[in-house]
Amino acid sequence: MTLLSGPPHVITVGAGLLQESLDAQAVPTTAVAWRPPLPGTADALARVLADPRLPAANERAVGRLTSARPQLVGVRRASEVLDLPERMFLHAGPPIEWERASGPMRGALIGAMLLEEYARDVPAAEEQLAAGRVRLEPCHRHATVGPMAGVVSPSMWMLEVRDAEHGGTAYCSLNEGLGKVLRYGAYGPEVLERLQWMDRVLGPVLSAAIELGGPIDLRAMIAQALQMGDELHNRNRAATSLFLRELAPWVVEAAAGSAAEVLRFVNGNDHFFLNAAMAAGKVSTDAARNVPGSSMVVAMARNGTDFGVQVSGLGDRWFTGPAGVPDGLYLGAYGPADANPDIGDSTITETSGLGGFAMAASPAIVRFVGGEVADAVAATRSMYEITLAEHPAYQIPGLGFRGTPVGIDVTLVARTGVLPVVNTGIAGRVAGTGQVGAGLVKPPVAAFTAALLALADNRK
Amino acid sequence: MTRDAVLLRKGVYHDSVTLMRVSRSLSDLPGMRVAIVAMATELNLALARDLGFDLPPADPGDLLVALRGDSVDTATGELDHALARLSASRTQTAADQPPLTTLSAARSPADLVLVSVPGEHAFCEALDAVHAGLPVMIFSDGVPVDQERRLKLLAEERDVLVMGPDCGTAVIAGVGLGFANVLRPGPIGLVAASGTGAQQVTCLLDQAGAGVSHVLGVGGRDLSAEVGGLSAMRALRMLDDDPATELIVLVSKRPDPAVARAVQEVVETLGTPVVSALLGERDLTAAAEEALRALGRPVPAWESWPGWSPTSAYTKLKGVYSGGTLCAEASLIAGAGEFTDYGDDAYTRGRAHPMIDPTLRLEALAQVEPGDVILMDVVLGHGADPDPAASLASAVAHATHHGATVVVALIGTEGDPQGLHRQAAAFREAGAAVFTSNAQAARHARNLL
Amino acid sequence: MTVGIHARRPRTHVTGAASAAVRPVLEAPRSPARVLAVFPAGVYLEVRTELEPSVLAVITGAATRLPNSVLLAAELPRVTVGDEAAVGDGSIELGRLSVRARRWWDPAPPLGRVDPVRLRQAAPRLTPGEPGLAGNDAIELLAAGCASGRLLGAVTAAERLVGLGPGLTPSGDDVLAGLLVTLRHLGAAAGAERAVWLADWLAATVTYDARTRTTPISATLLHCAARGEASPEVIAVLRGIAGRQELEPAQRQLRRLGHTSGSDLLQGISIGLDTVLAMTQAPSPPQSLPHVPAMTDAPDPARALSVTG
Repeated sequence: MTLLSGPPHVITVGAGLLQESLDAQAVPTTAVAWRPPLPGTADALARVLADPRLPAANERAVGRLTSARPQLVGVRRASEVLDLPERMFLHAGPPIEWERASGPMRGALIGAMLLEEYARDVPAAEEQLAAGRVRLEPCHRHATVGPMAGVVSPSMWMLEVRDAEHGGTAYCSLNEGLGKVLRYGAYGPEVLERLQWMDRVLGPVLSAAIELGGPIDLRAMIAQALQMGDELHNRNRAATSLFLRELAPWVVEAAAGSAAEVLRFVNGNDHFFLNAAMAAGKVSTDAARNVPGSSMVVAMARNGTDFGVQVSGLGDRWFTGPAGVPDGLYLGAYGPADANPDIGDSTITETSGLGGFAMAASPAIVRFVGGEVADAVAATRSMYEITLAEHPAYQIPGLGFRGTPVGIDVTLVARTGVLPVVNTGIAGRVAGTGQVGAGLVKPPVAAFTAALLALADNRK
Repeated sequence: MTRDAVLLRKGVYHDSVTLMRVSRSLSDLPGMRVAIVAMATELNLALARDLGFDLPPADPGDLLVALRGDSVDTATGELDHALARLSASRTQTAADQPPLTTLSAARSPADLVLVSVPGEHAFCEALDAVHAGLPVMIFSDGVPVDQERRLKLLAEERDVLVMGPDCGTAVIAGVGLGFANVLRPGPIGLVAASGTGAQQVTCLLDQAGAGVSHVLGVGGRDLSAEVGGLSAMRALRMLDDDPATELIVLVSKRPDPAVARAVQEVVETLGTPVVSALLGERDLTAAAEEALRALGRPVPAWESWPGWSPTSAYTKLKGVYSGGTLCAEASLIAGAGEFTDYGDDAYTRGRAHPMIDPTLRLEALAQVEPGDVILMDVVLGHGADPDPAASLASAVAHATHHGATVVVALIGTEGDPQGLHRQAAAFREAGAAVFTSNAQAARHARNLL
Repeated sequence: MTVGIHARRPRTHVTGAASAAVRPVLEAPRSPARVLAVFPAGVYLEVRTELEPSVLAVITGAATRLPNSVLLAAELPRVTVGDEAAVGDGSIELGRLSVRARRWWDPAPPLGRVDPVRLRQAAPRLTPGEPGLAGNDAIELLAAGCASGRLLGAVTAAERLVGLGPGLTPSGDDVLAGLLVTLRHLGAAAGAERAVWLADWLAATVTYDARTRTTPISATLLHCAARGEASPEVIAVLRGIAGRQELEPAQRQLRRLGHTSGSDLLQGISIGLDTVLAMTQAPSPPQSLPHVPAMTDAPDPARALSVTG
């Protein structure tokens, strides 16, 4: 009981009159810039916050998320490791069917049809997909994440990431590079040729190399990359370099004949590490799932039509709202009219305290957020307002090695009206176009309020 | 006239984001249709070729500029300027971002949280404080009683004090929170379920030169059966443990009998003497006097300016109050009359408390009739009207001119921003009898009938 | 003459908080004052008054809350040494500002009862750091005189220490201030009446001619210490000794004050604590005390001097 030992430092929240009267008394204060919660959430907030389980549940959820130790343990075919039978594809985001699928999602599905030789040509692929002849399920349901369209078909090679702390496993496909690629909905001959090369050469070589040299400690590598200017979503240059350095000798030992082309491919793609970071994020957030009463977000994902979130205390339910069009910078002559609504599971990086949340670590790409380093710092700082913890390993040098904000709490989103900052690539809206830019996107408020209301219903 | 221009700059490197930004600024120039400024990677060269540009051989380390439009020369001129401007490193310190929730604010050192958001939202902020192990004063009213109970039960677990909801007054080591007066430090601590009650007692103690250590408000419902006096009992123990407090005054309406017994049991365990001022048992002035006597200090004659003795016979007593407890106390002492507490929830919906906004009481004073005795309180201190006499004194003068007489209970200290004597003088000049003791004011008013 | 100009310029009314020690000076009829020293976080004002504190520290949030200070809720006015000011009738007129107190704090908050066993445990944990007068024989004499209860030695040493050392608050004064505050508070808290009695004698000795023997600010602070008034940093260490808060962080905070001020104060506190302990061990006056009448009220300074003489 130290309250009475001297004049207190007062946190004030609410009426300006009371703050002014403390100012007049020269009392040190911290003024909260309070505003009413998101419309329609006041009752639900009171009910959810009154849940006696909440503090411990959130502490446990975020504790599991931040203590996960993701390691790359293998590179294996999807058909071997996933429950992915013939004529079933995984896709990014919450569940979607062909009718509602956007251009890039359709393009990627068509490409996968051609790659797996389920269809001879594009019209045949479209026809089968429209007829529901291929089952579509979200990656997230299968311990998997996929960037952009995130289409995973049985023959694809997957990064296999294990959580050495809690024992979970998660998967992500191999990154194809930039430009016209399947994940952006391109399915032209050069796209398929590259995928076939990956199937024939890249996958087996990486698999053999990891077998020899693995596991690779992704937690340590991500921590290091943050200190080298990556935020692990829109910038993975440092992490890719670190990864390549670690991998190179094992690639040479595993397959001297193909080593040069494999290493050249990885080196030519600054985003190669993104997929590993995503699998790391997935295995960490999965460790935090299903904590009864927890209001922490364990997945944010988009399918090009809907933006969905999942919450630890609410099992596998998706809460969705319309995916927004990113605000960003465009490649070449592309502009906002060419952009598809937000797409991809790569928001798992933000969910696990990276990407937009770690923007302050990445001065090189701050222009996505408005141009100044101060804006990036502000973006990261604002995320501390809606998160439960600071990551013990992922730190930001420019903020005095403060941990990145991690563990989005839907109650805090509702209370502050601050939405998660999401960095993202921008896909062209027409199937087959590929990437047209990169930038920031605002998640829909509705997804978070719906999750909050569901938490409140659980309390009834 | 639209034309194409392609430039290669050797050995110039900029990151892709900077270049996309330059591209955009060039394409925004009037007359420009396409502007590509990018490193000459295969990808970017292919993009330019797709758009129909005729490209010379290039290395990925070259800067490719491909322009189409009828102001290509202007665009070229802008290029270097734009590159220089956009790549210029500007060191900026992040503007201060205030915390948006109590949770966030409580991550930095603090000793107390003062919550005054609308009642329906107060629970969240107060809960943050309790979870963070910080004592909290909830000034807000309209907080449901189950939320109050929940907060106070949790506070027991976390060993913190919850003052309120609807706690209008607290003083911690001289710091006035909410409606509180400027008090000299001293040996008397208060536990108060009534804000204006606490103000009356502390102002009298200050006038007697005794001084106050702390005033711990607990909220008007704390001593009800539903809440069970959790905060009052905790506050009593805290003051007992406080070396600056030699005597405790407990101010409340008459509590629920079971709660009263529980509180009494706590009082009996304390090493510090407790004087209780329970409405209906002992008036606030008597409690202040009892506290002074218990400390062996002289009881002064409470300052008052009764004015001349009225000659006419008065017929009706009207209480026009802003403080609930003061109103109830006066009503009990007067025994009869028509008392209105304008601080009651019924009158404060959508308007400020009468201690800040005099409108309703001005209206009431405008409607007095000859023969009325008007008994009213004027409460000074932090948070209150900076000069209540400025608006109320002329209404008082009007009332006295119309055959009524006005008795003012002036609750404040000389140290208050409004100045006790300055306010007293103004009301005296307007024809009112002024008392610093509400109980004395009420007796005076009663005796006028 | 600047006074006339100041008087005509419109004043900005600001508020703040003040140590209750300055209340009598602030509420007395208005007296002239002048600026004695100007620092980034504070201004010292010397007031023409017989009351103490006669020097007021007008400070901002960053400064130490000395027991003679008035804390502004605004920026300091731009003033220079020698500027005229006025204090009294409830306000301070300084530069363009007119300052009133909206809050009072107690510069001598009581410690409550403390078990001497606790004090004994705390004594070896006091680490003054590097006081300005370490090893000075007047300090040794003071410590020995106090601990043995020999008033003559203590008073003689105290006389030698007033104003001893360089700076705005000479080290000797800081040691004495620490000692006085400790004897008053811990003496009362531990029920060591002889410690409080010793404090009365020492207080009378050091305040008798402090105004002529040391700097005005230091003299004022000695007057405050004589009444048990101190900055929160000093009070926090006493609370730490009494087991009411963590001692280590409190000591660290105090040592950070001034050049050697914090360490000097701690040295005084340490001597005071040893004295209180010695006097709770031996409740009756030892035989070797000089013959002085038993007193409960503050002694007459002239008599204190005659004892030392």
